[in-house]
Amino acid sequence: MLEKNSNKEIISLIEELSGQKISDCFQCGSCTAGCPVAFAMEPVPSQAIRMLQLGMVQEVLNSEGIWLCAACNVCGTRCPRGVDYAKISDALRALVLRSKKNRVEPDKISKDLIYDAPQQAFIAGFRKFVG
Amino acid sequence: MRYPYYPGCTLYTKAKNLDRCARQSAQILGFELQELETWNCCGAIYSTVTDDLAAQVGPIRNLVQARKMGNSLVTLCAACYNVLLRSHNFLFAPGNEKTRKRLLEFLEEPYDENMKVLHYLEVLKNDIGWDKIKVKVKKNLKGLKVAPYYGCLLLRPAEELKFDDPDNPKVMDELMATLGAEPIDFPFKGECCGGYILVNAPDIALKCSKTILDSIIAAGAECVITSCPLCQYNIDNQQKLIREKSPGFKKIPVFYFTQLLGLALGLEGEILALDNHYVDPKPLLIQKGLING
Repeated sequence: MLEKNSNKEIISLIEELSGQKISDCFQCGSCTAGCPVAFAMEPVPSQAIRMLQLGMVQEVLNSEGIWLCAACNVCGTRCPRGVDYAKISDALRALVLRSKKNRVEPDKISKDLIYDAPQQAFIAGFRKFVG
Repeated sequence: MRYPYYPGCTLYTKAKNLDRCARQSAQILGFELQELETWNCCGAIYSTVTDDLAAQVGPIRNLVQARKMGNSLVTLCAACYNVLLRSHNFLFAPGNEKTRKRLLEFLEEPYDENMKVLHYLEVLKNDIGWDKIKVKVKKNLKGLKVAPYYGCLLLRPAEELKFDDPDNPKVMDELMATLGAEPIDFPFKGECCGGYILVNAPDIALKCSKTILDSIIAAGAECVITSCPLCQYNIDNQQKLIREKSPGFKKIPVFYFTQLLGLALGLEGEILALDNHYVDPKPLLIQKGLING
């Protein structure tokens, strides 16, 4: 479905699903500076927002970075412009999960982890990674 | 005083010690946690997607049950606290009137704004008070250096939760000082443990856990406290993998804050569930004279 929509349409959908205005970001980088997984994220939060501002919608939707957000909310708490990247990445993931396949296949998760970890990890993980 | 109480799924399984110590400590402190008659999983993480109403149904169903019993709901798990409070806020957010009507019609239950989702720590601080807790301390935790680890879900989004200062939280530090312990400040108190990233990127979650643990150990703490079963797992159990990857890493015990509260208030034996940890906390407590060897 997403391939058929124009970038403009998808960006307004992202804004609607996240409640955030992409153009409000002025690229100070506070979100990325505070992000605990920025070391592994590609693109990092401020880059992802900049890419959306430039219309690089498919690049962001197909990126690995959006799957690493742990929804810790440091970015949104520190943003001087009131932009909450955690909400944007939640919307981006929802768009991918609603149109493509699951990010995580529940039956492929290691049995050891299922036995060891609290169910909270899987319920939260399924919320964010399974459509 | 009696509070409607929502334990949540994990407190019935992996995190029994978080739950039981809290219930027993409450009795000693003169309040009761009255479990909701029926409840379901809160969903474990809040969905911020504005049209994701299916994710709101579970938590709101719990709120509706609580509202039948009173106008507050106490939680212990940081994730449940975060989700339930934010779902309540979602219902009453400006512009959400139609959505609220739709959700409550679907649930076929009445609900109104007169509901406060509380964390157990808020009850301790605001309703009971540190002074009153201090008087009830039977076993002073003097000399125990505790790193209070808050993680994300108690603190953020700060403007919604209004729980504590998101960059310099104090409530667990104050509780530990009340019990006689020495709270140890460290820079990663509110840093994410990696959370559910454990499920899709375990190596990255592990790095998050290690950053926090390194910071705690460098600050000179002897143990850690948490209020979230997933933080507990990432900070305690994951020390096994951290040690495999960094052989010099020195293990540090991780408690739920309610275990140290219970210990200080005189709870003993199985109720403390001190065997339910990856890093055995007993040698430290024996060394400090807090339990018998």
